[in-house]
Amino acid sequence: MSPTAVLYVAQALHGLAYGMLLFLIASGLTLIFGMMGILNIAHASFAMLAAYFCFTALKLTGNFWAALLIAPIFAGIVGVLTERFLLRPVHKHGHLAELLITVGIMTLILEIVKLFWGTESLVVKIPESLNGLLHIAGLTYPVYRIFVIGLSIVILGFMALILFKTRLGKIVQAAVSDADMVSALGINTPLVFMLVFGIGIWLAGVAGAVAGPLLTVFPGMADQLGMDAFVVVVVGGFGSLIGAFIVALFLGELNAYGIQFIPRLAPVLMFAFMALVLAFKPTGLFGERE
Amino acid sequence: MSTKLSNWILWGVVIILLAVFPYLVSFYYLNMFIAFAIFSLYAVTLNILLGYMGVLSFGHAMFFGTGAYAVALVLRHIEGFPLLPTILVGGLAGGLLALVLCPLLVRVSGTAFAMLTLAFSMLIFVAALKFREITGGEDGIGITSIPPLNIPGLVSIDMTDKINFYYFAIIVVAICLYLLWFYTKTPFGSLIVGIRDNALRMDYLGFNLPQTKAINLVVSGTFAGIAGAVHGLLMKLVSTVGVLDIGTSFKPLMMAYIGGVGSFFGPIIGSAILHILEDVVIRFTDRIGLVNGTIFILVVLFAPQGLIGLFNTAKAKWFQKETAS
Repeated sequence: MSPTAVLYVAQALHGLAYGMLLFLIASGLTLIFGMMGILNIAHASFAMLAAYFCFTALKLTGNFWAALLIAPIFAGIVGVLTERFLLRPVHKHGHLAELLITVGIMTLILEIVKLFWGTESLVVKIPESLNGLLHIAGLTYPVYRIFVIGLSIVILGFMALILFKTRLGKIVQAAVSDADMVSALGINTPLVFMLVFGIGIWLAGVAGAVAGPLLTVFPGMADQLGMDAFVVVVVGGFGSLIGAFIVALFLGELNAYGIQFIPRLAPVLMFAFMALVLAFKPTGLFGERE
Repeated sequence: MSTKLSNWILWGVVIILLAVFPYLVSFYYLNMFIAFAIFSLYAVTLNILLGYMGVLSFGHAMFFGTGAYAVALVLRHIEGFPLLPTILVGGLAGGLLALVLCPLLVRVSGTAFAMLTLAFSMLIFVAALKFREITGGEDGIGITSIPPLNIPGLVSIDMTDKINFYYFAIIVVAICLYLLWFYTKTPFGSLIVGIRDNALRMDYLGFNLPQTKAINLVVSGTFAGIAGAVHGLLMKLVSTVGVLDIGTSFKPLMMAYIGGVGSFFGPIIGSAILHILEDVVIRFTDRIGLVNGTIFILVVLFAPQGLIGLFNTAKAKWFQKETAS
């Protein structure tokens, strides 16, 4: 391949890796919104928390794979507890109160992270087996990013299988379209909510833990990931996984190529695009309801 | 008659206290008090939307920040621009932004409104960060000199003097608060509360809902812009992190919620509490956000009407007991 083509392909892969990470976060966010009507402002904060968990677990165990496994699970547990003890009690006060409590949770997570880990950027070392460079047809590409793309695809495939092929998946899908009706049919929706919230946080946690070595782990991580995930969910349409998927990939590519060609305009374009979509189709590109 | 008299006495005492305040405390507390006043106004403008109209402006910093940036730009590029029009420029900028956005904002409510405002505030934040020739990017724009308050033929008051600036800021905030208080007491203000409680009914009664909401938005945006303008003059620096970022949007939200969104004076009380708290907490620990966040969560969980709501419930219970016994 010519050097220019190599450059383009490398950027495309960068974009794909970031897009997949975004989708891991956004998928949980959009499912939670679809089912419970909560815009979880703190969603990316949980991803950041998982990244810090991963850093500490790596320090304690010395094994990257173990850390990668443990960190999202711990984040998921924190998520389940949050849902049970903070979100559920305010449910009766309406959506605004739920929205506000996630704002409070976001602040708390940020402060707790600063308290325990400080404000510096922490570097998560990746193991030797992932640290190399891959050579394919003249293209040199870091193995770790390929690993990120592969892992995301595997997890998402697994999730899709659960969502579309199991009973739990059917219940979740039904609850996204009408939670009250599902509850009336005798299904314990609070339990399902708790489960979905936990799984959503777990997905975000995987993304955060995996993103740690790419972005380094720092307290501003939640803002960066959260803004982008928010755009993905809004533009893609609330409760729409397909929409989130397409927009996440698009955004990843926009990010990758934008940084190269229009470094100044890329983020502005992203938000302008979101504003336009909201202005003309408030439900998002693929969403059906507000 | 006697309550009217005691009201007059109360206001008199408040005004005298405000007047002698700068001679009693250090500059540090003077600055803190001005910041408290500015954020009170800012939180009240948020509450005009949240408490009165029932929509949550999640990106209220865009009005605040636009006002601040407008003032900084005017002072930088126009030589000898007088002080009072500067404040008005800030208000105008905030109001104009609200006017531009209102065709979109009036169509939605609930979570959608919150998201739309958040989206636009992010757009403006990123734009201010990236177009650094105009806004100075992360460094922001410094306000090198505050123009004197010039009333032609009468006086010219030097505003670089801290005490003079204190009086000026307090008077501006007080006038704005009075105007807003008056605004909520007008029939139009009641109409807005009506929309919050039952929009459909107000629609059937023949009121023009989109227009009413739009006017309320512009009022809120204008006064938030004025608050931003005074804030810019106080800080002498307008930069993205500080007037436009998401933290600036959440701050008045916390104030309004902790004080109580149901009442006009709630956000002012909330602003006072947060400022006093910050001053106290900072002596023991740097983790002011941790304290604020915890209090905010506790309030949302257990006292959705804020401190004013708690106070009212306590009062109701107290008097009930007295009449019962």
